[in-house]
Amino acid sequence: MDETLTKRSAVRNVKKGKKQPLTWSVIKSQRQLIYMSVPLLAYIILFAYVPVWGWTMAFQNYKPARDFAQQEWVGFKHFKFLFSDDSFWRVLRNTLGMSMINLVLGFVTAIILALLLNEIKKVFLKRTVQTISYLPHFLSWIIVTGIVATSLASDGIVNDILMKLHIIKEPILWLSEGKYFWGVVGASHVWKEVGWNTIIYLAAIASIDPALYEAAEIDGASRYRKMMHVTIPGIKATIVILLIMSVGHILEAGFEVQYLLGNGLVVDWSETIDIFVLKYGIAQGNYSLATAGGIFKTVVSVTMLLIANWTAKRLGEERLL
Amino acid sequence: MGGKSKSVLRLSMIMLLSLGVILSGCGGNNASKAGKSNTGEQEADGPFEITAFIGEAGQQPTPDNKIYKKIKDELGVTFKFEFLAGDINQKLGVMIAGSDYPDIMTANTKLTAAGAFIPLEDLIEEHAPNLKKHYEKYWNMMKDPNDGHIYTLPNYGAYNGEVASTWYSGPAFWIQKAVLKEFGYPKVKTLDEYFDLIAKYKEKYPTIDGSPTIGFEILNYDWKNWGLFNAPQHLIGHPNDGGVVVKDGKAEIFANKDYAKKYYQKLNDMNQLGLIDKETFTQNFDQYMAKISSGTVLGMFDQHWNFQSAENALITQEKLERTYVGLPLVYDPSIRDHYRDRAALNLNNGFGISVNAKDPVRILKMWDRLIQEDWQKILTWGIEGEDYIVNEKGRFLRTEEQRKKTTDATWELANKAKTLYASSPKLEGYFSDGNATDAAAQPEEYQAGLKPYDKEFLAAYGFESYVDFFSDPPENPIYYPAWSVDLVEGSEAKIVNTKLNDLSTKYLPQAILAKPGEFDKVWNEYTGEIGKLNVKAYEERINEVLQWRIDTWTVK
Repeated sequence: MDETLTKRSAVRNVKKGKKQPLTWSVIKSQRQLIYMSVPLLAYIILFAYVPVWGWTMAFQNYKPARDFAQQEWVGFKHFKFLFSDDSFWRVLRNTLGMSMINLVLGFVTAIILALLLNEIKKVFLKRTVQTISYLPHFLSWIIVTGIVATSLASDGIVNDILMKLHIIKEPILWLSEGKYFWGVVGASHVWKEVGWNTIIYLAAIASIDPALYEAAEIDGASRYRKMMHVTIPGIKATIVILLIMSVGHILEAGFEVQYLLGNGLVVDWSETIDIFVLKYGIAQGNYSLATAGGIFKTVVSVTMLLIANWTAKRLGEERLL
Repeated sequence: MGGKSKSVLRLSMIMLLSLGVILSGCGGNNASKAGKSNTGEQEADGPFEITAFIGEAGQQPTPDNKIYKKIKDELGVTFKFEFLAGDINQKLGVMIAGSDYPDIMTANTKLTAAGAFIPLEDLIEEHAPNLKKHYEKYWNMMKDPNDGHIYTLPNYGAYNGEVASTWYSGPAFWIQKAVLKEFGYPKVKTLDEYFDLIAKYKEKYPTIDGSPTIGFEILNYDWKNWGLFNAPQHLIGHPNDGGVVVKDGKAEIFANKDYAKKYYQKLNDMNQLGLIDKETFTQNFDQYMAKISSGTVLGMFDQHWNFQSAENALITQEKLERTYVGLPLVYDPSIRDHYRDRAALNLNNGFGISVNAKDPVRILKMWDRLIQEDWQKILTWGIEGEDYIVNEKGRFLRTEEQRKKTTDATWELANKAKTLYASSPKLEGYFSDGNATDAAAQPEEYQAGLKPYDKEFLAAYGFESYVDFFSDPPENPIYYPAWSVDLVEGSEAKIVNTKLNDLSTKYLPQAILAKPGEFDKVWNEYTGEIGKLNVKAYEERINEVLQWRIDTWTVK
């Protein structure tokens, strides 16, 4: 009994962020927590820190068959190639563009859908909508792009509907115009992920204290006002945390969807960093260049993450670090 | 109290579980490593499993496949195939990064560059006399230009004697038989005549079986880019050298030359007439094949083997008039066509043995056995009495029923060792008893297999087979073909080649789809971009290897 009490108080102290001297008794009282963190620590060391050693490849002319000692060191050659290539800036723009679209659309649609679902009082209807909307999450991109390509074909469902509604006269070749490509990618992402993304918001909404709603009701708040002043502030912390994490993935605009839907006509708008790295790094057997591309992405990701976190802190919001 | 201890218990269970997962992960690794070193000492005749990586998509044979069963019964060898799923470069990258190779792999210059293959020349000399005999004439050609070792065993192009051919699998402008028949079997020589026929036919029959008629398809999807890139070199009477035209032993790119412009200009004109499929540049390979199998596509530039399964689908549907004839088109009737070539050794193809192979000698001995005539007959014709019959003159023939079975893909999975045979060393030409090594090339078999429609069609032209549409191939220059030059991974030549393909993929569709007045503008932009590349590096690498071939391959 005593032991559990001390453990709980220790935990609480840590959470409050008060500095506490690290003593054996603290360690002993938290030993379950320490044991629990061992597997995760092992996982992180094994899969996050050990591979960083591979970064040395970016500064070599890496040849797979050779030992580390036999590799030829070339300094920043691969980075120079990367940054001096015209197409690199183009693929960077595409990556950022599509990433921003995915980020904004992903957040806005998921939050709106979660809020709407939350307002549905019929459990059966709510569950049905939720299930149907998150099913596409379990399809792989190769299947999704197949569906997208078929739907957007000149005799596909999208053109059929638009023509039946007399919005367009002739079928639009969606996939042959660069200007549509980002939109197509954004829409495919929303279709695939929106249901899945709502789950976490619905969970956050469920944890809001019902007393707040009751209080709002007594004050005469309408449904809409309750949504604006109780639900949204209630899930704000979740939104901010997820946003910070997503910003860290800003250079992960995806690979499969652009690779599989792209073609010669839209190549200026469809190629992302990942495709560039595949083409000029891995496809050339130039693993060093591929690594250099990877390092660039990591550095940008970490920087963006820190900026987002710092901004959140300045705005007095919940933050990650 | 009870609740507390229960939750502690639950926590420790989770901990144990997660630790267990991690430990078992590590443990599994060790176990597999230990397994590998143990199997090093194999008995020579015991059961032996060969793991194989096949660098393209494919289907596993059925577990009771009769040929593999025979191999297992008589040679004790079983196979475990891994087919490519997804992108070849990614897959190879992962394999190379982990040095995670099966026993044998289909050739790829990336694997060679990574040192994944073992040199075979000494092992062949020592353990595989039949293979040595098979490759005798080609020995020097098989050596890697970079270090002089033999790493892979070419799967095609090592002939004994004359080449039997009733079947053309290479590049051509293909046209539906129905189009030629409609206009009284004309002889088509030039690009202009070809498109005239297609235009006339499409006008007369705007739909085929209820779907709109498609005039011309240009496939450019992933690595299958020749539909868009390769035609110009053939139109000026050169054989397939990939991205270059070789004149007097000197290679130069043709993408930006005037004769290439002429072709794309023509396609641009044809697009104005609505002959080119609107979706041709956005379609993927499956969509392309689906269109061909529907019978609505009148023509395309492609390699026969690439769309063959779509054509087989047409045969199965009994739409023989929708199958294709290859035409060796040129710009001008005075140019002699050179589409059909004499088979050259298929370098950078076929199997190699990996550095991880448990027993390379045993694998080589397996091939050494399979290259002998009795096994070659089993691999190509099948089992005597079941898959083919021998008539009183000793000629191999198939009954109508046996012939029909061979076009059935499901039957093939259970009764043919297709995957193994396709990439293994093989006899080509004729067996010592005079029968062709390939059933399709056996003359009486070919004639007997012709459908009445095709017989009538060929008779109208006075030809024996569809190969007769092509001129007889002249002797190959010693260095031919340039497309099999290994550009060396990560070299400037390879990067330039990639960029060149990128530019073509981007600009050629634009040029073809451009409004009439804008074609020149797009073309100039395209050639301007090519001018910025270090094309010299690419051409020089090819010329260097061609020169090396002249020096090394010439029989002195």
